[in-house]
Amino acid sequence: MEPEQDFTGYRARLLKGIREGIGRSARAASDPIQVFVNQRRVGVLDGTRATFQVQSEAHIDSVHLRSEDGVLLGGLSAPEHGSRNSRISLTRDSVELRVHNTAQGGSVSAVYFPAPNLWHRTRQALGSVTESVTPRPIAFAGSGMRAVVFAQVLLAGAVVGLVADRMTGWLTPVPPPLPVTQPKVPAAAPLAEVTKLEQQLAEVSRMQTKVVETIQMQQQGMAQFQRTMAKVSSTQESVVSSMLTVKQEMEQRRKGGDRADRMTRVIMSRAHSEQEQLEAEIHSLIVANDRLSKEMADLEQHNRDLKKRLQSAGVDVSKATVSDREELPI
Amino acid sequence: MTFGVQPISTREQTMADRTAALKCLEEVVSTAEEFDRVVSQALPILLDRAVSYTKRFLRETAQWSDDVVHEKFVLRWGAEYLEQFLVCGRSEVPCRPLFLLDSMVAKQHSRPEPFCYHPDLLTPIGRFIDGLVGRAAISRDALIAMYHHCYGWGPGQVITVLGLNGSESPRIYKNFQRWRDSGWKRTIENMGMTEAELQGLTEQQQRQRHRFNSEAEGILGLVQAHYRKSEPDHYPCLAREQWEDMSRQGYGIEYRIWHFALCLSCLQTACDVGLDGASAIDTPRVVLQLQP
Repeated sequence: MEPEQDFTGYRARLLKGIREGIGRSARAASDPIQVFVNQRRVGVLDGTRATFQVQSEAHIDSVHLRSEDGVLLGGLSAPEHGSRNSRISLTRDSVELRVHNTAQGGSVSAVYFPAPNLWHRTRQALGSVTESVTPRPIAFAGSGMRAVVFAQVLLAGAVVGLVADRMTGWLTPVPPPLPVTQPKVPAAAPLAEVTKLEQQLAEVSRMQTKVVETIQMQQQGMAQFQRTMAKVSSTQESVVSSMLTVKQEMEQRRKGGDRADRMTRVIMSRAHSEQEQLEAEIHSLIVANDRLSKEMADLEQHNRDLKKRLQSAGVDVSKATVSDREELPI
Repeated sequence: MTFGVQPISTREQTMADRTAALKCLEEVVSTAEEFDRVVSQALPILLDRAVSYTKRFLRETAQWSDDVVHEKFVLRWGAEYLEQFLVCGRSEVPCRPLFLLDSMVAKQHSRPEPFCYHPDLLTPIGRFIDGLVGRAAISRDALIAMYHHCYGWGPGQVITVLGLNGSESPRIYKNFQRWRDSGWKRTIENMGMTEAELQGLTEQQQRQRHRFNSEAEGILGLVQAHYRKSEPDHYPCLAREQWEDMSRQGYGIEYRIWHFALCLSCLQTACDVGLDGASAIDTPRVVLQLQP
């Protein structure tokens, strides 16, 4: 085959496959549905596992539903922040997806709604017939015969429905029913009671879905609350540690200041004492100087006295010498 | 490389149609139904756009080569992106479909490994194994069929070797049946493998069986390492003692099914310790099976 033909054929096959969509899948009604979050398989939905929930620390980008033969059945693109719901209709059954993203991560919940069985569908059809007929009761009120015929028709319809349902049950295995969505109705119960019971069950089912949603929201709220608490406590711890650090620094600074003051005081006192010592020494020097000056003056005075005595003694000696010379013979 | 030569008048008409379709795709669509209608009328344009972005990515990451194999590779991934866009884009309304596709493809390409690319995977045997394991990451039928294509096991052997219980057995048979009926054919089509290429591989295997299987084992290791990341992230490789414990106590059935199909090394370890919890099983070797 030529490369061009080969390539064109390949492209056409891929486009055909995309156009066919979920019609390509060989999935039967009871077969499981695989759930992929961010293109990773995280779980399975089927009649026995009708709900599914997953929480992730990572941000959720997409949720895909695939059949076991790998065909993409449906999906949801998650919002950057907040939640998004989508009900994805498959061939007969459906899946309700809910994805929620926050700054801390994301969560996905999925609820599987299986296709109603034949009895359920027959009852619905009968219900719609009854509804379409009941607005005109007056037309039948006048004729007892017509009312009897109508009741017989209804009864026959119910019997046919029951037989058909039983036959279906014999011929094809029915997937295990969900306790909420598939109530067991006594075959002999009147249609009005059945309808009433059905409404009550639908109400209970809605209530249960609401309760599940509320619980999920509470769980998410609790998780968020815990995360917030953890953040607050970590912030508090960091604030306390910062305060401690500041206090220690201040004490260190104060201690440093005291030491400097003490040093200054020591230096000052030492300088002061040295000054005093110097002053005392200067004083003692002055005193000693005065004393020396006085002693010097005394010594000068004494010296002068001695000089005077020496001069007088010299005179006396010279006088005595002269008289001696005069008395002695030559 | 460019394919498709058309007469001038047809080409002009095609160009006009494309321009009109592009204009519609650039407008805002408000409802999911409107989205479906607009995109279903412009699938070839959207496919070409996704393909051109993928080609550009390969060029800019120096992985592109001008040949048919590369053209098929980008076509395969373009189709994959387009399929995801068709399904998830409905939930993004109101939006402009053309720009939504651009952003979705760009988001894929911004991931560390958007797809498994290696020169060895561009050969026929590489494409076969890559296509098979890639399918196994999204399809349980293909995952179970991996045991057949890689080791030649049938459903009974898979059940015995993996030590599955009674409730799992019918599902394994169903997986095998569906794979034989439609899964294998569709996977081969998605790979872009031709009959001639398959025939060539068969002849190559018959001529040099040992060499062929040895080459397949090398490629399988490469591909499994990539696609194993797509399995549940709580299914990592385990130590010998942990596999032994799991086999003895009989838990982790899904774990075993998913992990062993995508990890030859762990399968060999677990077979040594005895997957059925009783006795050791012959160490599995890759014996590539081309047919389902």
